[in-house]
Amino acid sequence: MKLTIAREQLINGLQAVQNVVGSRTTLPILSNVLLQAEQGRLGLTATDLDVSIACGVEAKVEKVGVTTLPARRLFSIVRELGTPEIELEVDEKNVCSLTAGASFFKVNGLPAEDFPPRPGFADSKRVALPQDKVKGMLRRTAFAVSNDEARYVLNGLFFSLREHKVTLVATDGRRLALTDEEVDIGAENQTEFIVPAKTVAELSRLLQDKGEVEISVGDNQVAFDMRGEGLLNILAISKLVEGTYPNYQQVIPRESKERIPLVREELVQALRRAELMTSEKSNSVKLSFTRNTLAITANAPEIGEARETLAINYKGPDLAVAFNPSFLLDALKALDNDEVFLELSDELSPGVLKVNGPFLYVIMPMRMN
Amino acid sequence: MYRVIAHLDMDAFFASIEQRDDPALRGKPVIVGAPPTQRGVVCAASYEARKFGVRSAMPSATAGRLCPKGVFVRPRMDRYKEESGFILKIMADTGAVIEPMSIDEAYLDLSARCHGEDADASLLSCVPIARQLKERIRSERGLTATVGIASNKLLAKIASDFEKPDGLTVVSERDKVQFLRPLPARVLYGVGRVTEQVLLRVGIRTVGDLQDYSGDLRALVGSFGPKLKQFAVGEDDRPLELGDEVKSISGEETFLQDTEDRGVLRACLREQAAEIAAKLKRRRLAAHTIQVKVRYGDFTTLTRQLTVEEPVSEPKDIYRLACFLLGRQRLVSRPLRLLGLSASNLREPTAQQLTFW
Repeated sequence: MKLTIAREQLINGLQAVQNVVGSRTTLPILSNVLLQAEQGRLGLTATDLDVSIACGVEAKVEKVGVTTLPARRLFSIVRELGTPEIELEVDEKNVCSLTAGASFFKVNGLPAEDFPPRPGFADSKRVALPQDKVKGMLRRTAFAVSNDEARYVLNGLFFSLREHKVTLVATDGRRLALTDEEVDIGAENQTEFIVPAKTVAELSRLLQDKGEVEISVGDNQVAFDMRGEGLLNILAISKLVEGTYPNYQQVIPRESKERIPLVREELVQALRRAELMTSEKSNSVKLSFTRNTLAITANAPEIGEARETLAINYKGPDLAVAFNPSFLLDALKALDNDEVFLELSDELSPGVLKVNGPFLYVIMPMRMN
Repeated sequence: MYRVIAHLDMDAFFASIEQRDDPALRGKPVIVGAPPTQRGVVCAASYEARKFGVRSAMPSATAGRLCPKGVFVRPRMDRYKEESGFILKIMADTGAVIEPMSIDEAYLDLSARCHGEDADASLLSCVPIARQLKERIRSERGLTATVGIASNKLLAKIASDFEKPDGLTVVSERDKVQFLRPLPARVLYGVGRVTEQVLLRVGIRTVGDLQDYSGDLRALVGSFGPKLKQFAVGEDDRPLELGDEVKSISGEETFLQDTEDRGVLRACLREQAAEIAAKLKRRRLAAHTIQVKVRYGDFTTLTRQLTVEEPVSEPKDIYRLACFLLGRQRLVSRPLRLLGLSASNLREPTAQQLTFW
């Protein structure tokens, strides 16, 4: 294999795949990136056996071939190089000679045959969406994915492809974020699946603001094929979380007594300040609604207290409810709407945060002892 | 003021209570625990039984073989706890600051009552107080205790082990290094079976060997090295742990027969989770860490724990985490002799996060 490639192209390719490169020494091949030189293109693939990411970049290929090279080391070398072009030549022993201007490196690789093969996809269901839409959907939900390893079905983002809608749900049992997007889904493509949190994090990083992503779902894996004019085309394949997602519909309150419009940015600022006076022991803030006023108070006996007052439009009866402020902030920060609506009933019923758009966030209150 | 610490250890506590309460048992080898025909272990043994090699935590069947004339008595924990309370009251009358270690032993800080010209004079002035304490326990409770007196917890505990039963040993500051020299390294706090083996490998058998060791102990025992060196020369600045702060709440059960029956194990865990939850609730606590303990037929014992972000206090949450721990590591790969559950990393939350499920 022999090729010449723009340094920037190689950096882009390595950056896309290298996050899943394993540091586990038990399988050294997983520390390597698979390089496949074809006509006019260099393919790069990395995997940790749960998630695999592949992409293709432009290259002047003189001699096609395949090899694997240590991904992190290769990336470090390429990043430090000063010239715009790099020449790679790999011999039959998988030793790579890398030349860039006055720099020369010999990097030992491993045979491509040892690299785990890309899983095949039989009988998959498909849906295609604009990349920026999916990116936004992930941003509005992924923060609510549970990291409680004892609840493994919640350690992923739930995807539902049903009734002309893609719905994404994340919950950790204390709050639940839901968003959906209308899209044409044929009857044969209706399905539900859970994508592991690690894959979701990679997708959030890899999805771009242009182009399309085609999602294909097989029995126990999902592929996200991200492509578009002038974009780096990336394919991410991931195992799915096995198990049944809990019935999230029953968690969403049918109706609430009060619907309170709030200015998002004001609320964020006030919560951030109040949160400064919470502690590990006292990690709640109290939201007290009285006529046209919202008071946010934090009180940690060992530290002190904070009180924020906001002028709001509220005509209902006095109402107070305590929440974990970071749960409120997680959602408020993931949104970009100016106005949000908080729906409340009483101090022990779930609150619901909504916007003018396809988003819903149910949050359980904290009971003061 | 010089530091004066006493360690009081009741002599064969459970067995002595049984012998006191039932004159027919006096002078006989009494073994408190499950009968030798059944599963279970020895909780305590009278000195008569110890002569045969019977030790606490030994399977009852083994004890029965070693001591065929042993009289097995079912433990009466409520009775022992009650007695422990009486002893504690007598100890409190000395004016000492007290750290109860377990049902039958405690540290007493008597520094405030024992003034002497120097450290050793202070320790000696504690002797009459200790004698009086032992005498009151004998006359009022009909039991004997052994007391060790020294300038710190480490030495006081070693002193109380030195001459049992009904002993009183003072380890003076002047003699402490010599006193420790011939004792096995195992007597030092923090030296268990594993550390003992590590030390033996380089020829360290006694505390004296440790005192003389010129190499870096850190290479052998890691960060414990410097502390171990101090302990070896009888220095220990650990304070008494006071207050009624609970560190963990636990329960365990030894099965009548080793079992891997999921139904039995689940029922057992559910019961333990409920008990732990009830105790947490009484103290208004919640736990960040849940631990399971399993023991197999060959006495191999494993523990596995998990720390969660949101503290748990409900039976169903404790049970769920316990099941997860057992499942994750496939701990029930063969029948269990014992199953235990504990909650630690306890907090007193001011507010409780409600959940959907």
